[in-house]
Amino acid sequence: MNFVMFTPALQASAIGRMACMVTRALMAAGHTVTIVRAEADALLTEPVHPFETELVAWNDAARVHALLAKADVLVYQIGDNYTFHRGCMEWLPHAPGLVCLHDFFIAHLFWAWAEDRRPEATSILSNWYGADVARAFFSHTDSASFIHATHRTAPMTEWISSMAIGVITHSNWGIDRVLDGCAGPVQVVPLPYDAPDMADARDPALHDGVFRVLTVGNVNPNKRVASVIRAIGASEALRPVTRYRLVGAIVPAMVVELSSLARNSQVNLVISDQVEGPILTSAFEESDVITCLRFPSLEAASASAIEAMLCGKPVIVTDANFYSEIPDDCVIKIDPADEAGALQRALERLCADPALRAELGARGQAWARATFRADHYAERLAGMAVDASRAKPVLDAINALTHTLSNWGASADLLNAAHTAGPLALFDER
Amino acid sequence: MKVLIVNNMAPFVWGGAEELAANLEKNLVLAGHQAEVMRIPFQWEPAARIASQMLMVRALELINVDHVIALKFPAYLIRHPKKTLWLLHQYRQAYDLFDVGQTNLPPGAEGDQLRRVIRNADNESFRESRKIFTNSEVTRQRLAKYNGFDAEVLLPPINDPSLFERGQQGDYIFAGGRINSMKRQSMLIDAMVHAGPTTRLLIAGPPDSPADGAALASKVAALGLADRVRLDLRFLPRETYAEYVRGAAAVAYLPFDEDSLGYVTMEAALAGKALITTSDSGGILGLVKHRETGWVAEPNPAALGEVMGEVFSQPHRTAERGAAARELWLSMDINWPATVERLLR
Amino acid sequence: MKIALCSTFVPFLYGGARNIVDWLRTMLEKEGHEVEVVYLPQLDAPDLLFQQMAAFRWIDLSAADRVICFRPQAHLIDHPHKILWFIHHVRLFYDLYDSPYRDFPDDLKHQGIRDALVAADNVALREAKHIFTNSRVVSDRLAKYNQVDSEVLYPPVFDAARFYCGNYSDEVVYVCRLEHHKRQHLLIEALALTQTPVRVRICGSSAGPVYPEELLALVARLGLQDRVSMDNRWITEDEKVDYLANCLAAAYLPVDEDSYGYPSVEASHAAKAILTTTDSGGVLELVSDGVNGYVAEPTPAALARALDRLYTERDKTMAMGVAARARLNELNISWSHVIKRLLA
Repeated sequence: MNFVMFTPALQASAIGRMACMVTRALMAAGHTVTIVRAEADALLTEPVHPFETELVAWNDAARVHALLAKADVLVYQIGDNYTFHRGCMEWLPHAPGLVCLHDFFIAHLFWAWAEDRRPEATSILSNWYGADVARAFFSHTDSASFIHATHRTAPMTEWISSMAIGVITHSNWGIDRVLDGCAGPVQVVPLPYDAPDMADARDPALHDGVFRVLTVGNVNPNKRVASVIRAIGASEALRPVTRYRLVGAIVPAMVVELSSLARNSQVNLVISDQVEGPILTSAFEESDVITCLRFPSLEAASASAIEAMLCGKPVIVTDANFYSEIPDDCVIKIDPADEAGALQRALERLCADPALRAELGARGQAWARATFRADHYAERLAGMAVDASRAKPVLDAINALTHTLSNWGASADLLNAAHTAGPLALFDER
Repeated sequence: MKVLIVNNMAPFVWGGAEELAANLEKNLVLAGHQAEVMRIPFQWEPAARIASQMLMVRALELINVDHVIALKFPAYLIRHPKKTLWLLHQYRQAYDLFDVGQTNLPPGAEGDQLRRVIRNADNESFRESRKIFTNSEVTRQRLAKYNGFDAEVLLPPINDPSLFERGQQGDYIFAGGRINSMKRQSMLIDAMVHAGPTTRLLIAGPPDSPADGAALASKVAALGLADRVRLDLRFLPRETYAEYVRGAAAVAYLPFDEDSLGYVTMEAALAGKALITTSDSGGILGLVKHRETGWVAEPNPAALGEVMGEVFSQPHRTAERGAAARELWLSMDINWPATVERLLR
Repeated sequence: MKIALCSTFVPFLYGGARNIVDWLRTMLEKEGHEVEVVYLPQLDAPDLLFQQMAAFRWIDLSAADRVICFRPQAHLIDHPHKILWFIHHVRLFYDLYDSPYRDFPDDLKHQGIRDALVAADNVALREAKHIFTNSRVVSDRLAKYNQVDSEVLYPPVFDAARFYCGNYSDEVVYVCRLEHHKRQHLLIEALALTQTPVRVRICGSSAGPVYPEELLALVARLGLQDRVSMDNRWITEDEKVDYLANCLAAAYLPVDEDSYGYPSVEASHAAKAILTTTDSGGVLELVSDGVNGYVAEPTPAALARALDRLYTERDKTMAMGVAARARLNELNISWSHVIKRLLA
């Protein structure tokens, strides 16, 4: 099959990294793949992941149209970041395809997309969530309150799903909204990931008595960094021996806030900015424990948790959403209702027991290697393409009929009405 | 040309519109075209089904057709680049019948949405038609009032005109057509009491219900008119009906406020028979001009009876009026060749 | 009973698919039933298939006690007592998918349409109370592609009583549309290789002038002008009855046809033997070699030998004609059987 995949391609994109793995796996399986770079114009000059196939820019309309004419399957990698996924949002409404949904919560993506489309956006919001939610959506003034308000009432999952002919997502917890939105096939497939150059790094500790804890990723409030600092600070056992390192993009205000908290708690905190490649690898290598706490949890799957497990390191996670689906003996899960206490106890246990760390790391690594495989993902993606090709003729017919009805001034419930939709149930049976 | 006539189908029901379509087909072929009638099953009960029926018609794909002539809602929603409408019926329950509360559309938002959808679909089809004809002035007015489209009235011709030639002036007044209270055949019977002893009446046709037929029979008996009033209450074979018309002295047709000229009137005029009607019969008055082509009486038995008596008291004048009726009818040029030509123009 | 006969059509195209419906209507009305015939259009364009299928799902024929559906997509109609007299699939997505007739690419999109179509057909077919087909060929396809069982119900010709057996001339008659896949040219080529004075008469109209012109040119090239009679027109029913009544035998040799074809049944009613080929498809459900006709290899030489045998072995030719008449009864090719089965 001939795939055209819309995805951010730049190296800074973790989704781009995943797309690159999947692309190479598809090609190894005999398919052809062309990439349409989805990142915003200004980023189109950034270096890309090694896709080893043709790359076309999303804003090169002539070339993209030519690709679409010959494509068997269109795939859109979607994440909650308009700057990285701009090109996807340009083409998806006009050229429906399979969506690989990395984040169930994509309200940020929607918000930025809606900027010069307010009336249309308001109508979309009303349609899915009602007039009250629509009104409130654009009224928030800061990120935290926006996330807080919208992650339960307007995550926009349905909206993106309704534009897809099929959706692959990476865990089950947010799937209901996907099913509500997408009329085509929906599947959960483990996110492919690899941890290069670290496969056998099993003995990383520097044997210097220091207990090294690491958190990787953009330092947002939902990563619970402050909770980790407090947990270390509250523990007589941990405080003197622990070094807590943050690797990831961080705003100055956050640096000040966290440094101050660490000082007051007498915790050894090291803040490194975002790093890539070998520096990131060595950060993993030297660590004893990696914390991947999320509250609220927004993404479908956590690349950093998977990466940490693939490195063979013991991982502490919040017991919610994607993380709950990890087998209990491969990670340590923290009950968010007792975050402080559970976190402290978990860190103390791991600090005191190197054998436990090694065991947990090994089990997590084995499970992650078996699960998050690009070749499996490529196979499922190809299978989904076939499923979607069987669903598409019916969906296209329904769309055409809905279009006719709505041109006559009918609302969607007229097509859904029993007498109209009922006789069409035949097409759902297989 | 390959002309497809598109009409609705109410399964196992065959009525005036079906006859019209069949005759249009026949006459298109006589004019040298290829013609077929396509009948699309239409179910409007319950009203919630109507949307699907409209979509059904709209989804049909026609090939190998040069010209479409469509007759009713929703048949006229069919897509074709060369589509002419001969509008027999819109879905009146969304329009004038809705206004008087005679509709199967539900009240409230649901019904409003259906009305809106029907109106928009209608307008779309009217816009995409090359020409719109209606079968009566009333239909034309409704179309203009509710949808804002112009149309030409194209009255349906008599289907088998040769049957109505060469009659002779007989000794009875003939009242044909369906028997029901709106057609008011009972008033004719009441009027016989006021007509002279030479006046004879033949009422023949299918009663809408047994009660309608029984009402006439008992009235004849009650008034003791069995010697002068004959009833033949059944669906008449066409030849029989034509015979009755041809052999009459005059023909009476007095429905309440009818839309069009009326087939009974048209056929009687063609046969050269003087026409009797009442002043409130509506479209019938298009053919019945008082004291020219017949008589227009006030709608009461006394006035009607007087007129009926006149038919036989001055037979010469009756014959003249019959000839005038025929002349008036022929001058309207309502015949199949002209109709076919206008539809395909 | 109130019976609705439902099929699809192309306006102004007539032929076998309409005959079966129209003739059945006449015969059912003769039995006293009320019959309504529903003909609606259907176009096999891949991108429009499902919208049209949706349209057929919305058709309400609940006023009928029974509906009998013939040509796709009529079989999509929903009714509590649905009977199918299934005459063919949307063949481009079934048995003709892997053939040069497919006029769209074999890509993921069209494979998806095919799979969705088969899935929908599988459901619609199983809604029927009973499935009949017009030939073994079609029944086999239903079994192969849709895994449903069906009963073969052969379509009779209309008013078979008008056919009779008169005399035996020197002429083998081929009454059928002049089309390349009916292979009138093969019969002419065979005639050139015969050793007896057997003749051939070819009657039929054609969609265009090309093939008939080719036939005429062929006759001239082979010098067969005085042995081949050609009527390039739709002959009248009376003419057909007369030609069949007095011919030596009838020929019918289309390539791989779905069903046996009316010409072979008409010839059988006239008690004449039928000449056909090993690759004519459904015709072989009717004709057996040496029993009620000859089944030759589809080569001019083999057909020539058969033509000569028909001419010289007259007694056998006549006997095979009688057997052809009897074969109709064996296969229950009659309206009384049809009605009995459809209304069972």
